[in-house]
Amino acid sequence: MSNNNTTMTSGTVQVRKKPLGLRIWNNRGHYIMFVPVFIFVLILNYWPMLGIRYAFMEYKAGGTPSWTGFTHFERMFSTSAFWSAFGNTLVLSLVKLFLTTFASVIVSVFLNEMGNLFVKKTLQTIIYLPHFMSWAVVASIFTLILSPSSTGMINGMLRDMGILGPNDSSIYFLADSKMWRPIFYMINIWKDTGWGTIIFLATLSGISPELYEAADIDGATRLQKIRYVTMPALANTIITVLILNLAKVMNLFESVFVLYNSAVYDVSDVIGTYIYRQTFMVARPDYGYSTAVGLFRSIVGCILVLICNKASNKVRGRGIV
Amino acid sequence: MAEAKVAYKKPKTKITVFSVVNYIVFIILALIILIPMWKVLVDSFNAVGVYQFRLWPTDFTLDGYKVILGERGLLRPLINSFVTTIAGALLGLVLSTLGGYVLIQFDMPGRNLLAYFLLFTMIFSGGMIPEYLVMRRLGLLNNMWILVIKHGINVSNIVLMRNFFEGIPGSLYEAARIDGCTPMGIFVKIVLPLSKAALASIGLMFAVAVWNDYSTVQIYINSPDQVNFQYKLRVMIMDGDTPPTAYPISQTTLYNAGIIAAILPFMILYPFLQKYFVKGVNIGAVKE
Amino acid sequence: MKKKALSLLLASTMVVSLTACGGGDNETSSNSSSGNSNTASADKSGDTTSSDNTSGETNSGDYVLTDVKIMVNGTVNSVKQETEAQQTTRDAFIPQLEAAVGEAIGHEINIDFEVASHSDYAGYVGRMFVSEQYPDVMIMSADMLKQYETTGLLWDMANAYDNAEFQNRMKLPGINEGLKDAQGHLYGFAPTYGNGCITYIKQAWLDNLGINGDDIKTYDDFYNMLERFSKEDPDGNGVDGDTYGFISAGLIGTEAPWINYVAEFWQGAYPSIIQGEDGVWYDGFQAPEAKEALLRMQKAYQDGVIDPDSFTAGTKDAREKWYGAEQSGSAGVFTYWAGTWYQNLANNLEKNGVDNEVYELAPIKEITDTFGGYLNREAPVWVILDDGDGDDSREQAIFTAILDTMLDGDKVQTLWTYGPEGIAWSTEAEDFALYPDDPDKKKEYSYKDGEFHMRPGLEDPNVLAVKNHLDPALVIAPLTNGFVSSTDLQDVSNKFFTDHCVDAPSAPASETYSERSAEIIDARDVVIAEVVVNGGDVDAAMQKYTSSVGSLVDQILEELNSAQ
Repeated sequence: MSNNNTTMTSGTVQVRKKPLGLRIWNNRGHYIMFVPVFIFVLILNYWPMLGIRYAFMEYKAGGTPSWTGFTHFERMFSTSAFWSAFGNTLVLSLVKLFLTTFASVIVSVFLNEMGNLFVKKTLQTIIYLPHFMSWAVVASIFTLILSPSSTGMINGMLRDMGILGPNDSSIYFLADSKMWRPIFYMINIWKDTGWGTIIFLATLSGISPELYEAADIDGATRLQKIRYVTMPALANTIITVLILNLAKVMNLFESVFVLYNSAVYDVSDVIGTYIYRQTFMVARPDYGYSTAVGLFRSIVGCILVLICNKASNKVRGRGIV
Repeated sequence: MAEAKVAYKKPKTKITVFSVVNYIVFIILALIILIPMWKVLVDSFNAVGVYQFRLWPTDFTLDGYKVILGERGLLRPLINSFVTTIAGALLGLVLSTLGGYVLIQFDMPGRNLLAYFLLFTMIFSGGMIPEYLVMRRLGLLNNMWILVIKHGINVSNIVLMRNFFEGIPGSLYEAARIDGCTPMGIFVKIVLPLSKAALASIGLMFAVAVWNDYSTVQIYINSPDQVNFQYKLRVMIMDGDTPPTAYPISQTTLYNAGIIAAILPFMILYPFLQKYFVKGVNIGAVKE
Repeated sequence: MKKKALSLLLASTMVVSLTACGGGDNETSSNSSSGNSNTASADKSGDTTSSDNTSGETNSGDYVLTDVKIMVNGTVNSVKQETEAQQTTRDAFIPQLEAAVGEAIGHEINIDFEVASHSDYAGYVGRMFVSEQYPDVMIMSADMLKQYETTGLLWDMANAYDNAEFQNRMKLPGINEGLKDAQGHLYGFAPTYGNGCITYIKQAWLDNLGINGDDIKTYDDFYNMLERFSKEDPDGNGVDGDTYGFISAGLIGTEAPWINYVAEFWQGAYPSIIQGEDGVWYDGFQAPEAKEALLRMQKAYQDGVIDPDSFTAGTKDAREKWYGAEQSGSAGVFTYWAGTWYQNLANNLEKNGVDNEVYELAPIKEITDTFGGYLNREAPVWVILDDGDGDDSREQAIFTAILDTMLDGDKVQTLWTYGPEGIAWSTEAEDFALYPDDPDKKKEYSYKDGEFHMRPGLEDPNVLAVKNHLDPALVIAPLTNGFVSSTDLQDVSNKFFTDHCVDAPSAPASETYSERSAEIIDARDVVIAEVVVNGGDVDAAMQKYTSSVGSLVDQILEELNSAQ
């Protein structure tokens, strides 16, 4: 390793003015540090990317891949179910993303205001718990609670409270087009809000106490301190979290897969579940078609990220990296 | 826990409307979260399979937990989960701190290129089959270390780490550099000690990602002694027509105990990490 | 040869495959005929077949098969290795199988089993094939067979099958004759029938309301029973109307034969593309029977006799609700798989402390008048992977070693049927009891030396050992050593099923269908949800169906009908 090298340059701020060769030499230690990351990304991410060519091929198990041009895309774009899934993907994951991020921020800010350290820690531990349940588990619990049958807890409560009359039929929350999306968002908030707070709380703990002290001296109320000290400090993290998650917006799958059903396809079917049914429910899938849909998904994700990076540049003066 | 004290002492809190409301809201929130989980906990101690919500077990038993710890077919995956989770979190931290640190070297020629090199992979991927073929070439099929390798590199976490590092004041680097520290020296002696909160939270993120991953196992691993616990759990919960593996206890008891067993390690671990979150990157003093 | 031609003719008509499931007379006649034909053609083809296994020598060409790799799904119980008990079973089974097969083929053989335990077997196989990892012989579902038949990956075993040693004992030839394609190629071999679902009723509930299960003969009887189950107090907890009549895992299955979980309501309707008696393919979902079925389910849903959870319930949810410890909120009737599952359901009821007597309902009149019985799904098959070297001797050797011996009527077949000797079953004198500590549930068994019996399970000592792969009641060529375990429910149920079943309509083999069936299924499931769950207008919903996938369906039908 060249780390033992004693020749170190002193300049930092003025470094940009130095010739390129010297700057590269000065940073040689950094390049070496990047090598492990580079190798991992190259092998695990870039090597498989050669497979994107299958989007233009027919590629089935037990057959040799053959070029088919844009037929997969033609099939995809001419299917109304695909477009419905595309729209649902955007709506569901964007709304979900904003709601859970919003909830996480609120919860972390108010948790941060909690005086009693023990209560604060206990609460923190409780609210992050649901994150460790897999979606399959979460779905099985909520399906039970929301069940329209006589065993359903929520329907039972609605009856006890008189909201549902004795002759009204139970609400089938998960099979009702009007109810499904709100329920989906609520379950997502239930599961991931606590987890979301981890990153914000870590940021909050880094806020300089002097800022609060200064605000105290100015006679700021608690809410004012939240507004003028806490929130601006969080802004950077919020934006980063939002943008990072935007790249994954199109990948929505598992949470929908375990909660949706054919009665609510029109509001719940997303690209992930669509592709699952089209290719994984058949005996011998054409991997070319799933690659094509995956490619389309990536392109949309890419556009979203570029837009956000632009927005971030405008608002904060810099992009995400 | 004296060292966990917050650097900044809030002014003596009076019982204000604000704090009362705050407490009430949080207690309700905690209840909403706990009720569904209570069902799981109760059912895990219930010897008979019960479909309805119960406040207490009707027929108390510890059999569910005994089977998990006593049966090789479940204990082995649990151990695999621990091993891969720890290794995955460590590898993840090494790679994400290295990557994150290099990304804040703004004077480094090609930094942007490297950033885009990483970002590109967040958006484009080869898809399941090409990845499968690569993993096969690497000899990682039917091998639980694939979980470690696959999760070790995570671009979002590199970016988050980078964000944390950026908060470390540049003046500290400068001082170190003048003292003749190498980049690696600065990284190990200055950056890492100042980033405990980041290491704790991102390390936890890596750990959770590995621990909760069943889909990688489903695609790449077939030998029963290499699968992890989440995968076993999912099979127990989701599998349709395959007759349940006949353990001598109720299926419901077993998988509810499994759910609890899957949450428990983090319930225990979290309070230990928490002090780092509270302590935080206490660098405000030198921040301009 | 005349008799062979006769048997082929017989078999290739639907008559055999239909009656094979119900009656016994035809089977015996074709049994003897194929036995004779076997010897006849064996003389002719000589070295490529293994007609004579009494000599104990291999005569599969000059190829000596020493290693064979077998890939199976979760249906071969004796090779699983998820639990310690399964591992013990596997460790005993494989050497026993190797020894028995080795004895049959006259030289040592090394058998390697790979179990794809995933619920996603097709996906697993796809990944293996794409990365060019091929086993020598493997299990495929009927659906997978249809897809891979045309790829050239699978070996045509028609000749090997026709000359197989087990043809001597063949009782149900129709099933494999039906698997042959138009040119007579046979790419997959089914050693057993496919199995299907039976309607189960809790005997205790019948008793509580004074209903005799044998009186349920028509849909009206059936529906009356469901209504009484849901309005009265069949579980005897003193509360009327806290129970349901019927629960199922979905109102339509996720694979063919779609209707088997809800047979009484679908009756003669078949909501998929199906071939009519006149040979013309049509869309059964657009037929008037389907509409009637939808209206029946809609009514049942509105009357509250079906547990509304049925629509979204997976098989596991439905099962658990049915045999849960608390019977309020549960249902009296549940239609589920015959065989192993009858035993499983009873065991689970018992574990949960519920009365575990389950009544098996014979198909109601509306079903026997249309299909003729419960639907027997298309059987899973064994296939041999063709190495593509143009020489059949290796593939023939695999067939002889694995598939032919699987039905040898004796040692090897016993292993495939019951699992390893000494662990799953035994013929030595033995006394044991299930639930030895519980006087209510205690069951004692006592066997003399030489008497075949299943032993207590390694996993759960209160339950008899799980059998291996072949269901003795469903197998096409039965055991000749007289090993029968007639005591347990699995066999009772298999017997009941074979007495009351007919073959499910075969799935269409059309390029467009296999590529785009998911779209049609989606549209169909939306209609069912709309009509039954939301109480929507059936004509309007069907209108939506035809407008979204009508042209696709027509295209497929045209493909199918013009192919004939």
